Amino acid sequence: MLVHVPGPWSPLLGRLALSEIPYKNLILAPLFVLIVLVGLALVGWITKRGLWGYLWREWFTTVDHKKLGIMYIFLGLVMLFRGFIDGLMIRTQQMLAVGPGDNGIKAMGAIHGYLTPFHFGQIYSAHGLIMILLAATPLLVGLMNIIVPLQIGARDMAFPYLNALGFWITAAGAALIMISLFVGDFSHNGWFGYAPIFEMSYSPGVGVDYWIWTLELIALGTTLGSINFLATVVKMRAPGMTWGRLPVFTWSAVSANIIALTSFPCLQVALALVGADRYLGTHFFTAGFGGNLMLYTNLFWLWGHPEVYFVILPAFGMLGEIIPTFSEKPLFGYVAMVLATFAIAGVSWIVWLHHFFTMGMGPYVSTEFSVATMLVGIPTGVKVFNWAFTMYRGRISYTAAMHWALGALFLLLIGGLTGMMLSIPAINYMVHNSVFVVAHFHMMLLCIVYAVFGAVIYWWPKVFGFRLNEAWGKIMFWLFSAGTALVFIPMFMLGFMGETRRLDWPFDPHWAGLFDVQEFGIAIYVLSVVSFVVLLFVSIRDRAKERVGADAWGTSRSLEWLTDSPVPFYNFAMVPEINARDEVAWRREHGFLDIRPDHYKAIHMPNNTPVALYIGATLFLLGFALTWRIWWLSGIALLATVALMIWRSAKGDPGYVISAEEIARLDREARQKMPVDGGDTVPVGGFAGGQIMAYSREVSDQDRSHRGPKSW
Amino acid sequence: MTTKKWLQMGQYAAILLTTMLLGGCARHSPWWIFDPKGVGARASYDYMMIDIAVMLSIVGLTAIMIVWFMIRYRKGGGGGKYDGKWSHSMTIEFFTWGIPIAAVAFLSWAVAINGSFALNPYNPTVITHTMKPKGDPVDVDVIATDWQWLFIYPQFHHIAVANELVVPAHTPVFFKLTSTAVTTDFFVPQLVGMIDVMPGMRTKDALEVDHRGSYQGIAADYCGAGTSWMLFKTKVVSMRDFHRWVKTAEAQPETMNYHQFNEFARPYINVHYKTPIYGHVEPGLFNHVILEVMNGKKWPLPMFMTENMYAYLQKQAKEHRA
Repeated sequence: MLVHVPGPWSPLLGRLALSEIPYKNLILAPLFVLIVLVGLALVGWITKRGLWGYLWREWFTTVDHKKLGIMYIFLGLVMLFRGFIDGLMIRTQQMLAVGPGDNGIKAMGAIHGYLTPFHFGQIYSAHGLIMILLAATPLLVGLMNIIVPLQIGARDMAFPYLNALGFWITAAGAALIMISLFVGDFSHNGWFGYAPIFEMSYSPGVGVDYWIWTLELIALGTTLGSINFLATVVKMRAPGMTWGRLPVFTWSAVSANIIALTSFPCLQVALALVGADRYLGTHFFTAGFGGNLMLYTNLFWLWGHPEVYFVILPAFGMLGEIIPTFSEKPLFGYVAMVLATFAIAGVSWIVWLHHFFTMGMGPYVSTEFSVATMLVGIPTGVKVFNWAFTMYRGRISYTAAMHWALGALFLLLIGGLTGMMLSIPAINYMVHNSVFVVAHFHMMLLCIVYAVFGAVIYWWPKVFGFRLNEAWGKIMFWLFSAGTALVFIPMFMLGFMGETRRLDWPFDPHWAGLFDVQEFGIAIYVLSVVSFVVLLFVSIRDRAKERVGADAWGTSRSLEWLTDSPVPFYNFAMVPEINARDEVAWRREHGFLDIRPDHYKAIHMPNNTPVALYIGATLFLLGFALTWRIWWLSGIALLATVALMIWRSAKGDPGYVISAEEIARLDREARQKMPVDGGDTVPVGGFAGGQIMAYSREVSDQDRSHRGPKSW
Repeated sequence: MTTKKWLQMGQYAAILLTTMLLGGCARHSPWWIFDPKGVGARASYDYMMIDIAVMLSIVGLTAIMIVWFMIRYRKGGGGGKYDGKWSHSMTIEFFTWGIPIAAVAFLSWAVAINGSFALNPYNPTVITHTMKPKGDPVDVDVIATDWQWLFIYPQFHHIAVANELVVPAHTPVFFKLTSTAVTTDFFVPQLVGMIDVMPGMRTKDALEVDHRGSYQGIAADYCGAGTSWMLFKTKVVSMRDFHRWVKTAEAQPETMNYHQFNEFARPYINVHYKTPIYGHVEPGLFNHVILEVMNGKKWPLPMFMTENMYAYLQKQAKEHRA
């Protein structure tokens, strides 16, 4: 029943053999040595400082949504760096290889440039997969993880353990793709996988298997996360947080996670079928024996396009928080903004076919998907106009976060312009699969990256209690923007010169000059990476000077700015009562920003658990064993996973209770540590009375959890 | 650096920019998409210009508006009146929805719907509606292998040529396309847009060219290690030259039946630009290949072609010299 694999196979090690470790490769071998040395140094440092216990207690076993969010963002930034290095290698290869003739570096087995075609294929496939699913997605999920519960006044996510599970499964996926660097190879046929190249006949190595199981793990982690987000927003809102008062970022998280929950299973099914083809010898996507390769392409993009909106919508939500704060005005057209968000989410399921207009499906089908795709332009246009009119009659301060947000806005304009070109079949035929498409979607994905950097700078003080250095934030912005211009303007031009995607050897010498410009742009990007490190270093060094109170920016609007900075592990000492759409702005205006609770209640909190980490580890083993076809290890890993799940379910988590006195003490201490915010401070208790309530009057959390939010 | 030097550099930059922009008008322009020579490619270009004009007028004005807001409403100095309460206006809302809806409606009709029919690869009305009654279209069957192209002319004694396409000018050319192993795209940037070629399936495309010349054809979709080399020149010649070429081709001794095609279709990277001509191929080879692929025929990739390419290419160079 199992497919016969080319090459050796042993029952003990499967396809794994010493020859699968590329110790002769001139790039990978030194990199491996470097990583091992850095890893050993890190382990030594942690051991010397005696930090293992701290890391285990506070991070590895945590179920705290903020810490998990920080770990998601850390993972995202590390993978963003890895993806960037891949991008650097792609650009360098094209710059070296362009033109006629044999200009390859023979020592590396390349006929053009310095990479073999097969290695080049692995690099851009890894670049795409990492950037979308292991950089953008964890960064956005991490930010949602931290901010969404705070914005709705919740103590944590609805299912804290599930949250940890989602993170560790995603991390297992990241580990799997990282280990493919040094053990075996990665898939060479694009991040989305071309049918039928991923079939055994055309990809005999283990690369495609790595790709399948990496994607499966990430998809599983993200699906679990999306269930959690939806349950949290539906069930955990503070009293008074009606749907009409939900901050736009939370709205965008809701829409994005509806997309994730409904579309990721489609990817998992598609990949399971690819796995069946490769492992069991079925013919779902083969060219012969009744298989249908375009079925795979349909199934993949049926997930793939909603996924694009899954990553862009939270980014739009971040712009919707940053721009009003620094314009000192409420968001223009809140209702229109929420409607537009859901319009984009709704349309996202009926546009997937525009990824392959060239399939030759006939003008009626083409037209339907073309018009559907253009419909996305309407709500997106509305959003751009609304952000613009948020600034209108505002008082804009150009902080570093605002720089990034406005940069994202301009990238969105370019991405929208080019997207409207690509949505039209008659035009698409000429630029589909060209680097014009690559430049277009990089505009959109960089719009996300800009929004994420803006959001990291914007919410950093909320999470860590001090602001990042403004000057270095701006230096990084300008370097990054210069890099973006220098890499992607030439890429648009190359698209019009007819350069197609994924060429390990760009054959036309006319392109050479533009490749050089792009390589220069990459060098500027490297500088911006350096400036990011400097930004972190300088900010952490000067953290005492940049300490902030609850309302870090003085003009913040939504609920997360009400609680202390850094946020205590219980989020809010007392659950706040929500009175307005922009609660903090409303409280500031009415002078009750500094009201502290006059009484405290006991809080019920979840216990830490290492089970999520264990399940992540066993799933990583499962993925690795399946990739190398080590059946005994796959069986053990699968059994261990299921056993852990059953054990944890049977055990449950009673949680623990922090007494009201303890909370009162913690809250007092947190206040003493925090500086007083600038602006008007009002005495405790100075509010007008009437209907207005600052904090929930409920008896305790347990009671509230049975009742759900106060109103819908 | 002195001001003079800066000015000089500015001049160079201006000259460079102008040259690049004027490059679009040059005869052998590297800007293939802006220099269409085929009927289909030109129609695509026209639609693109309509789309860019409409979208740029909106996006450009929006960008100017945003920049103006950014300057006028900056804190301390912009001069714009601050109104921290203002967050809604039905009039503005009308335009923020109305403008995108109007633009999308216009583009849907003018470009998306019309363009989809005008450039439908199976029946592009820009070509078929202008066909003269006596127009004598040329049929070409295209088979993509890993990683070569085979162009078969069934009307002309089933001659075939690999990795080079020769077509007459001012004449519609109708393609049927399939692939042996994996999917790729048939694409001649200056003449005709992309169409997928898929194993076990048949797609169609059409071409008409007004200008004689030689144009670069590309395998526009990743199809494995040899993708970058899977190029073909498209030679557009006068009808007389075309018939002359057909005569010489028919006289070629090389022939190809399905068995020989099997050899031809094995993974091969065409580093040395071989363009063999076959005086005759088995009639119905195109359908034969599709049927075989549907019945499970494969041309698997050998393991050694997934690793050190240089060793493979050296081996090929040795064979080439021999």
